[in-house]
Parts: sequence; C-alpha cells; structure tokens
Amino acid sequence: MKMQVVFSIGGRLRYVGHLDLMRAMQRALRRSGLPVKYSQGFNPHILLSFAAPLAVGIAGEREVMEVPLEQPVTEAEFLRRLNAVLPEALQCVAARQVDDTHPAPMAALFAAEYRITPLDNQQAFYDAAQAFLKLDSYMATHRTKRGERQIDLRPLVFNLLVKPEGLRAVLSLNQQGTCKPDLLLTALADLMGTPAPDCRIVRTRMLNHLLVPLENA
Amino acid sequence: MNPDMNTRLDKLLDQVEKPARYVGEEVGAISKAHTPDMGTMAFCFPDTYEIAMSHLGMKVLYDIVNRAPHLLCERVCMPWVDMADLLRQENLPLFSLETRTPLDQFQVVGFTLQYEMSYTNILEMLDLGHIPVKCSDRAEDAPIVIAGGPCAFNPEPLAAFVDAFVIGDGESATPQVMELVREKRAQHASRADILWALAQLPGVYVPLFYETAYHEDGTLASFTPTRPDVPARVRKRVEIDLDNAPFPESMVVPYAETVHDRIVLEIMRGCTRGCRFCQAGMLYRPVRERSVDKLMDLAEKLVAATGYDEISLSSLSSGDYSCLQELVTRLMERFKDQRVGLSLPSMRLDSLIKQTLEETSEVRKSGLTLAPEAGTQRLRDVINKGVTEQDLHNAVSDAFQSGWSSVKLYFMLGLPTETDEDLLAIGDLAKQVEDAYYAVPKGQRAPGLRITASASTFVPKPFTPFQWAAQDTLPEIGRKQAVLRSALKRKSTAFNWHEPELSFLEACFARGDRRLGDVLYAAWQRGCRLDGWQQHFKYVEWMAAFNDCGQDPAFYANRERSRDELLPWDFIDAGVTKRFLLRELDNALQGIVTPDCRQGCQGCGLTAFPGVCEQ
Repeated sequence: MKMQVVFSIGGRLRYVGHLDLMRAMQRALRRSGLPVKYSQGFNPHILLSFAAPLAVGIAGEREVMEVPLEQPVTEAEFLRRLNAVLPEALQCVAARQVDDTHPAPMAALFAAEYRITPLDNQQAFYDAAQAFLKLDSYMATHRTKRGERQIDLRPLVFNLLVKPEGLRAVLSLNQQGTCKPDLLLTALADLMGTPAPDCRIVRTRMLNHLLVPLENA
Repeated sequence: MNPDMNTRLDKLLDQVEKPARYVGEEVGAISKAHTPDMGTMAFCFPDTYEIAMSHLGMKVLYDIVNRAPHLLCERVCMPWVDMADLLRQENLPLFSLETRTPLDQFQVVGFTLQYEMSYTNILEMLDLGHIPVKCSDRAEDAPIVIAGGPCAFNPEPLAAFVDAFVIGDGESATPQVMELVREKRAQHASRADILWALAQLPGVYVPLFYETAYHEDGTLASFTPTRPDVPARVRKRVEIDLDNAPFPESMVVPYAETVHDRIVLEIMRGCTRGCRFCQAGMLYRPVRERSVDKLMDLAEKLVAATGYDEISLSSLSSGDYSCLQELVTRLMERFKDQRVGLSLPSMRLDSLIKQTLEETSEVRKSGLTLAPEAGTQRLRDVINKGVTEQDLHNAVSDAFQSGWSSVKLYFMLGLPTETDEDLLAIGDLAKQVEDAYYAVPKGQRAPGLRITASASTFVPKPFTPFQWAAQDTLPEIGRKQAVLRSALKRKSTAFNWHEPELSFLEACFARGDRRLGDVLYAAWQRGCRLDGWQQHFKYVEWMAAFNDCGQDPAFYANRERSRDELLPWDFIDAGVTKRFLLRELDNALQGIVTPDCRQGCQGCGLTAFPGVCEQ
C-alpha cells in the first residue's frame, strides 16, 4: 500500500535540487511520525518515488510522489500530519491511497505542463511560440553528459498556448523523448533572433499518455 | 531587505553554483522581527554554508541568543567566489540567511575563528557586507565586530579588524556582549564608550586599548594597556556547569548536503589526556561531562524536531566519557525502532571498547578512524599520545573481526624531535594493520581491505608545550613526505597528505603578532580568499604579501622561541600556566609521559578556576 501525494514547491525553495528535496521529504516524514515503510539493510531509508526531478530554479505546483506505507492511514490524516512539519513553501495539496499494483508515477508520466512567464519582451516571445507551432520540425542541440546530439524538438512540444499569465506549454517528458523548458526557450529565442528573455517557470501539472493529470488517472 | 533588492538577489541565484546555499528557509531556522528595541547579531561563519552548518558552536549560540526575548541571531556564511563576485558586480550587500538583512544593519557582527586559514574570508565578508574592513575606518554607527572560538586565544593577527574578542566558552558571554551593545546603542553611547564597556566584561579583549613594542630582532618587547581601567590580563570564560548550560533542543536542518549532516550531541567538553601537540586539549580544559539523562532528553527532542536519522556523539575524546557504555546502550535501545543510527567520531584508539564497536555496527557501519599520530613509541611518548602498538593491534583486530574492512590512520609529520626512523615506522604500522586483517579467516572478514594513511604537517600552536617549537621548513617537509610515501607503498594502503604550504601559513598566523594584520590585508587585496580550498589557495600571492609588508614568514613559522620570550598571546589567561607548559616541554624532550589528569592532578593551573577540578 502506498500514498500518492501531490505537492507544491515554490518561493526560494525552487533553488533546492532534487536530491536535497528528496532528503527534506524523508526527514519531514520522519518528523511527522506517519507509518511509512523503510527499506531493508544497513541503511534503512524511506523509498520515495517521484514522478520526475524538478530542475533547479523551477517551481512546481502539482508535483507527484509516492510514499510507501507500513499501515493504512486516512488521506486527511496524512496531509494534516505531513503539512504540519513541512515548510510553507513546500506543502502537500492532495493525497490518495493506491494499492501496490498502481503504476509508479515515473512509469505513468508522459508529459508535463509548464507556465512560462517572460519578464520582458513578451509579445515577441509569444509570437515566436506561435511561429514554432507552425513548423514541421525544429532541430536543436541537446547537451548531455555524454556529449551533444541533434534532436527534433517539434514533435516533443505537444502544445503552446498564450494565456494572460504566461505561455502554457505541454512538453514531452518520458523515455522516448524529453523537451526541457530551457531547450524550448533556446528555440524560441532563436526564432526571435534575440537572447532568451528572463522567465519565471513553473511546472504546473504532471500528465500521463492521455494528457490526464497523474493524480486523476 | 527591500523588495527590489530581493528580486535582484533572486536573479543571482539563477546564476550561481549550488544556490541552495543562499536560500535559508530551513526547518529550524528562526526569523524574529527586527524591531528597534532588539539586540541583533549576525553570526558569521568564515567559510561556505556546507562547513558552517556542520559547526556545533554556531548551533549552540544561535539557539541561546534566539531564546532571549530581546535578542536575535541570524546566520551569514562566506559566499562561494561566483556569488561573491556577483554581489560586488551588482553592488548588493552580503546578507543574512534568515531575513536577508544586509550585514551592516546588525548591531553586532560576530565571527567564529575555527581555523587560521579562514582569516581572509573575514575580510572578504566584512567588505561584501559594506563594513569597513579595518576597525579604525569604522564609523560611529557601524556594527561592533566581535570574534570568538579557538583561534581567538591568539587574537593578535586580527587585532586591526575585530573590535572585541570573546575568549573561551561563549554560552554566557555572547548574550552578555549583545545585551551591553543593545543598551549602549539605546543610550546613544559613542563607539569608544561601547568598546570600553566591552573591555570591562570578563573574557573580553578589545585590542584598541593595548599597544605593542618590538625588539630590534623582531620579537615582542612589551604588550601594555593604554589606559589604567582595562585589564592587563584577560582570563578565558568557562562554563563550569556544562550539564545545565543551554544546549539546543532543535537545530536548523539544511536542504543542501553539509559535511556533518546529522544531530550532534556534545557529551563532554575538554580532555584530560594532555597530548602535547593538541591545542584544543589545553584550551577546553577542564573536562566537563553532560549527564546521560540530560543527553537522552536532548536526543529525544532533537530527533523529533529535525527528523535526522543519525546522532553523532561529539567531544574531543568520546571514548573517555565516563558513561559511554550506558549512553550508547540507552540511545540504541531508545531509537532502534525509529532507525536512528549512532556515530562516534574522535575515538582515541586506546579507549575503543569492543562492545561499543559491536553496538555501533548494529545500526550503521562507518569507517574506523584511528589516530596514532606518530610511528614509534619514542615519538608517541614525546607527544604524550599514550597509545601503544598493542592498543592499535587490539583495536583493528577487534574491528576486522566485527566486519570492518576500512581503516583510516592519522599521523602528523614534522613533530619535534622527529627522525626518518619515526617516519619509516609508520610504514611498519600500516603493515601490522594489514597483517591483523589477514589474520581473520577469509570467510569471517569483510572483503576489500582499505587502509588510508593521512599525514598532516605539524603546526605548533599557542598554549601547548610546543608553542616554542619551530615548524619544519617547506623543503624539509617535502623531503619527509617523500620518505613517508616510499614507506607506505603497499597495495592496501592509500597515502594522503596536506598541502604543506597551507600548514606553513597556518603556523605563521597561529603564532603571529599584530604586524601580520598588514600581511593579511595585503594578501586579501591581492585576491586571497577561501584559502582553505585548494583550488583557491594562492601561495604566490601570500608570499608577495609578506614581501610587500617587509615581513618574513619564517620568523613566525620556522623559528624556535626562547623560553623567556614575551609571546603575543601571553596576556591571555587560558587556565594552563606557562610553568606547566614548560614542564611539559621538558618532559617531552626527555620522552617522559605525563599521565591522564583523571589519575591525579598534574598541576596545569585550572584549579585557579573556582568550582572545577574538585577531585
């Protein structure tokens, strides 16, 4: 039995890296006294499973993780006890108990939705987004630890929608291909012919292959 | 900090390495309102966040100050070079982690002096905080800059930069200093008045009120107060009743991974062993223990408040804590179900108890660290490290039988009277450890023997029997390292050594006088900062700084002092008397061992403090 938890992380805590966040969550769970399950072995720890790491500097509104449980606990109780020991900028917003056969969030994840708000040069940025959608293909340089490779970004961008609060982008995030927001920003800057504007980026939802939020699937 | 500056700072966080260092907002952090009636202090740690947050002293003082209703304490750490440069470029001030208050907005700016090679960071932090680096340049309303910690026992190299030093234990002294500054500021007292009032507090040294003169050979001729109403000698502060001294019941839990990321329980302060190279062993006298009941209570509260899964027992010599067995057993029993591990650092090898080892391994198996310090019995007698080869053999044999396979051995290179024979014997010790491992039958021992031998360069320190000794010159250290390297050429053994140039400078500042302030300033102006980090240590610039100021580093590091020389730190009463240190020096040179003072008073001088050393 496990608890699927939706949480938000924002404010300055967006600068906390994934491993640090995981440790902070584990410590919070220990403080909460909730009946979580520990791994076996010399260094027993809580095996948390996150849908996907969040890049440093990006906030998250509905991030998803799973917490293994030793004993059942109600969803309300879980939220109350965990939120009581979490800082303001890191809070759980929903929880539901799922059985062990429920696919891990990492496996179910297919895409993520972002809100990208440029701090200047907004109109040109949004125009570039519209132009990008009209392209059939856009080759970008993807840098990894193993080196550089060319990828077609266009099929990895499922949707771009200009909203009053910013650009709503649905980007592929799975084994087959991933478009991280910074890659999209570089592409849009290229179309604008200027350096990428400073943006505030928030990951707003984690989606499955039907583009349904994981917590509703 | 105003909203505009906040936004600009956030922008910097997008550009720097490890931004979590500058975020604050940790669980356990305390943000109090900066109301006009508050006494405020920025606790400055002159190294990066990861080091700062591993330091127990900061946790203790942070807790004490913030418990006081009219006082507040916030943390400030040395930014990494990328952040430091960006702050300067953007003309943004160094700020506190809790409320992002600029450094120059605090009444008191307090530095902890843990290591001589962090001194340039103090200058850098003051400058980044828009506080004039030199005391003499500070305006009336500038913060009062104070410093404490072990290096404050020879404050002279920092006399030009620090307004007041607090010598000894800081638990009662720190809030006293803050209360005084708060009251005086409320009365609009002048800066000179505040400093004078501080000089009246026990354990406080204000360099402004003292002057020095030098002989032609460069040695100190006199050190005298410039006014009759300041003390000629400054006696260190001692918390006599450690069990009732405040200790935090909650601790800041960092997001970024720190060096010691766990609950730290100080079980005991001071050490009775009397190792002659060890400054901490002399400075933190007398030995005081916390009771098991008190420690159990603290552990309970700290586990609940932090969620840490590890408790580390801290002291100079945990194996000497009189109730170690009981404490370890009760901690294990109490926290087994909560999966809280225990670690016992700083174990002297003669006090390793087999049972303790086994109990520790029940929960967590970390590496075994032993510090024989020297290769031969002769040299171990010189330094009064009362440990024999048999002790080492027993300790590692027990450990290997209990499933350990990695051992760290610490040695010092350049100890007084050391010869090549002593160095070669370190190789023999490593061989013996190897033999002890292979003596355990193959099925019963853990696979993969790993011996790590680390040799640091000996740095003579004030208030030790070796405070008169010369440090080996750099070429000699280089030669000795080569001898040691060849003696330790074994497959199982890795050899680590410290950068000798860094130890050379450490030796200069450890026993430096006021004139080194100019060198420090010149080095900082030449871009020296974060010297303790190998990638930023600029030895060439340091030597140029000495040259700029007409000072010779060898005078400070490599010169043997005569026994009647007036030493720059002689005006400080650290408890141990000069007579005792001289007797210990003579014993050292004759290879005479001085027993642990728990077995009988050795007359070090601490009995002059009422209420200590009753037995």
